[in-house]
Order: sequence, then structure tokens, then C-alpha cells
Amino acid sequence: MLSRNAQGLYWISRYLERAQHGCRLLADQLQTLEDRPVEEIDQTWRRLYASLDREPVGGSLESNLDDEDFMLADSYTLADDLTFESSNPDSILNCIATARENARQVRNVISKDMWYCLNVAYLKLSKVGIADIWDDRPGDFYLHAEDTIRTFSGIVDSTVYRDDAWHFIQLGRFVERVQLLAALIEAQIAVFPLDEAHIESEWRSLLQVCEARSTFSRRYSLEYQPVNVINFLVSDLRLSRSIRYALARIVEALERVSEKRPAREARRLAGHMAAHIDFDWPRHNLNDTDATRTVLRELRETSRKIHENIETTYFEYEIEDTPGA
Amino acid sequence: MKSASLFSSYEVNPAFYDEMFSATGVPREHCKALWEHLDGMSGADIAALQDRTEQSFLHEGITFSVYGDESAQERIIPIDLLPRVLDAGEWGLIERGLRQRLRALNLFLADIYAEEPAQILCDGIVPVDLVYGCPQYRTQMRGVQVPLGIHVFLCGTDLVRTHDGFMVLEDNLRVPSGVSYMLANRRALKTSMRNLFRLHRVCGIEQYGKLLRQTLAEFAPAGVADPCIVLLTPGVYNSAYYEHMFLAREMGVELVQGKDLLVHNGFVYMRTTDGLQRVDVIYRRIDDDYIDPLAFRQDSRLGTPGLFYAYRMGNVAIANAPGTGVADDKSLYAYVPDIIRYYLNEEPLLANVDTHLCREPEGLEYTLDNLEQLVVKVVGSSGGYGMLVGPHASADERAAYAAEIRKDPANYVSQPTLNLSCAPCLTDEGAAPRHVDLRPFVLCGQETRLVPGAFCRVALRPGSLVVNSSQGGGGKDLWVLPP
Repeated sequence: MLSRNAQGLYWISRYLERAQHGCRLLADQLQTLEDRPVEEIDQTWRRLYASLDREPVGGSLESNLDDEDFMLADSYTLADDLTFESSNPDSILNCIATARENARQVRNVISKDMWYCLNVAYLKLSKVGIADIWDDRPGDFYLHAEDTIRTFSGIVDSTVYRDDAWHFIQLGRFVERVQLLAALIEAQIAVFPLDEAHIESEWRSLLQVCEARSTFSRRYSLEYQPVNVINFLVSDLRLSRSIRYALARIVEALERVSEKRPAREARRLAGHMAAHIDFDWPRHNLNDTDATRTVLRELRETSRKIHENIETTYFEYEIEDTPGA
Repeated sequence: MKSASLFSSYEVNPAFYDEMFSATGVPREHCKALWEHLDGMSGADIAALQDRTEQSFLHEGITFSVYGDESAQERIIPIDLLPRVLDAGEWGLIERGLRQRLRALNLFLADIYAEEPAQILCDGIVPVDLVYGCPQYRTQMRGVQVPLGIHVFLCGTDLVRTHDGFMVLEDNLRVPSGVSYMLANRRALKTSMRNLFRLHRVCGIEQYGKLLRQTLAEFAPAGVADPCIVLLTPGVYNSAYYEHMFLAREMGVELVQGKDLLVHNGFVYMRTTDGLQRVDVIYRRIDDDYIDPLAFRQDSRLGTPGLFYAYRMGNVAIANAPGTGVADDKSLYAYVPDIIRYYLNEEPLLANVDTHLCREPEGLEYTLDNLEQLVVKVVGSSGGYGMLVGPHASADERAAYAAEIRKDPANYVSQPTLNLSCAPCLTDEGAAPRHVDLRPFVLCGQETRLVPGAFCRVALRPGSLVVNSSQGGGGKDLWVLPP
């Protein structure tokens, strides 16, 4: 497969994973706005922004804690910033626009339905702004957007031939997922330290964002113990939005992609990280906020390195010797 | 919209040849069945089909970009759902005429790029400076052994019809585009008016992608049995990117950009996830200037350094060959009938439009004296950019244009304003006549191939003679009926 095409597919799925994550975060945040006290709204906004490595527009929110109206007005601005803001490369609109731009580059190797789905989603999204969605059930907007991305994933699953194209789509999706999850969980711990009394709703909402709430309730209990929640989201191999699950998919894809050019370093890193979660993670004290944050930061860093190795192995490699002709 | 029949207010203007009706307003024999069918539909029905088709074009991204237009980066070429119909006799003439023309032009290119002095120039048929002085003449191509001896493997010739018959308006021998719209318009029509096709036994054009691939494969370097063919595009910002993508897909070949290719030891490779893969044939959709910064424009970031060297070595085929633009230059155009007579010893089957070359004193004088009746074109340009349609311009515009011509006469040619034929098009008031042309595509490899169809362009504005997509033109499906 042409390197640029592989790169395009990889980024389509990375950006859509990011957009979907953004949709889930905002849909959850809008629920918080419905009935939670301003302190919690403030905290969840901070968690959200910290997890995206972005400064809230207008700086700190804390000054508004004593004024509910201000807080809600700010929420409008913040949602706009994360959804439509053109200068924010990770806004939902920009993620979908970039995914579509990548799809345009590789249109001849993706199915017509993939292109159609993404193009129509973009054309619709580019016609609305925050004012259009805010007054009337804004949550629906994010649900619809997420639905579109899910539809796209379904089309991918059912139309993509399982050659390198498929493997690069998987790599993009799951490398992004590891990064987003590790960042989100770390931000959660930063805003809601593990050694302090926990607010149950915040841990429930974290599960909600990760599409894991009902499964958690069945597997554990309705007590949203932070340690159990983190453990579930990091190490459960059967949960599709867990770090361990994403790693398994990365390992799988790296084993199958391009037999002639194995990405050895990426495979080593992914395997190492998986083994770390399987064997070392259960032994460390999850209640230790700092230690847990350190592990999560390392996971993020490793996944960044995996990304780099994929890039230099498949997309932008140097030409070493005479090609076999 | 009234629900009266589609053609109830259609008026044939006898000044122009009407593709569907005779001068007295009677449907032509080969259009009769179509007319009866369409006339039974209400304008509203067809308008609804039209909206749906345009929506699906936008959603599928069948778009092009207009340079210098920031607001609407991607636009669809409007499609008019009423097909234009040619009978087998008309098409037969076009086909023979185009084969003849391309054969002569390829002989001309082989002659002027041969090592030894060009025969046609020695014999004084074509002025020497028109060839060697043309910016599109590439000295780098002098003496290069092009595969099959063919410079132009694909040509898209613009034809118009007047009361005097078909005429060649211009040849596109560099990187002709539009074939994807021919195919998209056909597919759209088949979707919306399915039953018409069975009724008319319209000749199929869907095999184009296969023929294109087959023809390209014939250019592969000797000894390569299963050549790796790629389509080289400047990228998504090119106005014809949709077409590049579409054709790569139709042919099942990779769509590459210059940066995907590299040259190593005189061979061309593309960068794949399995390492480097050798490339044998490049269907390039970028201009000569941008192919290779070492051979042509040095500031080009689109091209691949060393590509031209690999081409000269015979290790890769580039189609069309660099330097074909000299033969579709608007001044050289005037000599094409002579070129046909010279190489083939035949009379041209398709007429040229009378052309006055402003590089010659008589031509300049004639042009300036008759500006209000002429169409003036810039020699090196395409896409209708920079042209003046005398009868439609104001006196001030003509005066300003005349001043430009005087500054650089050699850069202009003029032609009489042609009475382009009209075909029925859908408007808010039912069907109305609009001017049309057509661009068939001719493939030339070991044999010459063309599908019975063309990109039929239509000037959607009433009275307008400009059919270019960049200037508000649209497209139509063109039907060729079997004998």
C-alpha cells in the first residue's frame, strides 16, 4: 500500500476517534449542566480541558463559582470552543473536517460509502454553529454526531478488505484511544484526587464517557469506587474502551501489517506496555494518586513513541540501500 | 412552475442549428422517441429529478474547484438532465475525423521532436518560430525515444456544430480533463431515467476505464509483463482532483503525488508500506513544468527530481509525453488542416474554425477592425480564461482589450463568433434552447480507441456562448445511437 494512503487512513481513524471522544465528553458535560451544582460543573470542565491538554478560553473558571449565570454563559463559550472553534485543531468540527480532508486524499482506496458518510457528515456539520444547537436540546447534537461516527465505523468494518488498509485504520483508532483514555483518567485523578472523599457522580460520569457504566454496574456494583473504576478502564481486556483492550488491538495490527517491514520498536513497546498492565499494574497501590498518575503518563508517552515508530517505519522512512528491482 | 408539457414554450431559433428540432420545430428523426417521452413528463417532475441528482453529486463529491474563488472551494458542475443525441452517422464522422486528426498531430510531434531537422519545417508548411518559439516546445524532448513513437496517448478535442456542420474548436493534448463528468453524467441519467436507455439502445461508454488502462499498459518499458501503472496528481487542491481520484479508481491503479515517487539508479519507485515498488507507466495529470524540478521548473514542489532522466532512459513511460502543448497552441491550430494534408495526404474530415493570427500584420489589423464580431483568445491559456467575446462585450471592454492585443499581438488569435448549436435544457420555464459543444476523448496506443460518448458542455445562461465549467457552464449526457 502506498505510504501516503496508509498515513491518510491512519489519520482518518485517529481524528474520528478524537471527534467521537469529544462528542461523548460534551454530551456528558451537558448532562452535568442540567442539575449539578456550579462547583461540579467547574470541576468537570476542568477535567475535560485538562484531558485535552487545552486551556479553557478566558483562563480559569474559578472566579465564576459564586455566580451560576456566569458559569452557564461560560459553558456556552467552552462548548463552542470544543465543538466549532476554527482555531482549535481538536474541535469536533475540525477533527471531522481533517478526517474528511484525509479521506479526500485517499478516496480512491476507501469505499464509496465511507467517503459518502464522512462527506455528508462534514457538509451538515459545517452549516451549524453553537447558537443553532444550544437552545434546543444541545445534547442531541452530540448524540447525532457520535452516531454518524459509529455509522462510519460500521461501514469500515463491513467494507474494508483486511489488508494493510484495515491494519492502519485499527492502528490509528487504538493508538488514539490509548492516548485519550490515559489523558482522561489522569485528568480525572488530578481534579478528583484518590485520597480525598469522592463524589460518586464524577466517577459514574467518567464511566459514562467511556461507554462503560452499565457494564461496570453489572461486573462490580453501583458503588462507583474510584479504584475499581480506574482498574476497569485501564486493565480490562474485554472492555472496548479500556487501555488494555486498545493495546491488544495495536499488538494484533502490528503483527499483521506489512510482513516485509515489521515495526519492531512499536511492537516491543506495545508488548511491554501490555505486560506491564497485566503483571505490574495489579501490584501497585491504586490509591496512591501520584504513583497512578505517573503510570498513566508513561502509558501516554509510550503510545506516543509507538506512533512515532509507525510513522518512521511506514510513512516517512529513509531510503537506505538499493531497492530490490 | 406550470405543469404544462416540457416543450410547450420551446422556441427554435433558426439562427442556430438545433440538436433536437429542425428549423420548422419538428423533432429530428433520431430524437423523436426521446422527445415524445420527455414531452410526456411535467417540468416539475424533471426539476425534482434534477435537484436530487445535483444533491447526490455534492454528497459524492463530484466537484471541481475554481481558481481564485475563495468562497466556494468545491462546486459541482451543474448537470442538465435532458440528453443530447447523435445518430450513428454523425458519430461516425466525428470518430473518423478525430482519429485522422490525432494521427496527424502525433506524426507532427514525432517530426518536430526528432533528432534531425523537422521535415515539416524544412518544407515550409508551418512557420519555424511557431514551433521553436512556442513556450510549450520542450527542447529537453529533442531526440527522446518515446514509447510506441506516440507523444499524445490521450486527447480531448472540443467540437462545435453550426449550420455548416461539425468543427474543431480546439485540441487538448496536454492533460485533457472532463472524462469523469462524461461518465458521471451518464450514471446520473441512468439512475434518474432508467427506462429511456433500454428504449433507445444508447451505446455504452462504461468501458472507458478499462480501455484507458489497456492503452496505458501498452506504453510499458520493454520486458515488463505486468506493468505498475500510476496516476500522478498535483493533489486535492487541483481543480480536477475528483477526476484523478475517479480514474485511478476506475482503473484500479494507485493515485500518487510527486512526493510519493523517487528515482533511484534511473528507475522510478513509489514509497509503499512494504518498501519501494517500481513504477513503469505514469499517467500524469500535472503540467510539464511540474514533472521534474531538475528538468523543468526548478521551483516546482509537485514533481519528482530525476523523473525525466528515468523517462529518457526508457525506464518509465510518461503519458502524455512532455512537450505536447506545442501542438495544441492556439496559433498552431490554424495550421492543423495543413498538417493533416502534409502527413496523411488526406483532406481533413473535420473543419477548423477560421483563425486570424495577430502575430501576422493582416491578422492583427483584421482583428482590431472587427473586434465587435470576433472571439479573441489568449494563445497560451485554456479554460476560457482571458478571452473576449466581442459581440457580448461593451465598447469600453473592447477598447481595453484592443490595447492589450497591441501590446503583445503574438499572444492573441481571433475567430468569428460561431453560431454554436443549441440543445434543449431544463429551465424554470420548461425546456429552452442553450448553446452546447462536445469533447470526445481519443486514446492512442497500439491502436486508437474511443468510446461513443463525450463530455457535452452547455452554456446555462441564456444566449451565452461560453461553455467552460469555470465560467458558469454545465454538462449534459451525450447519447450516441447505434446504426
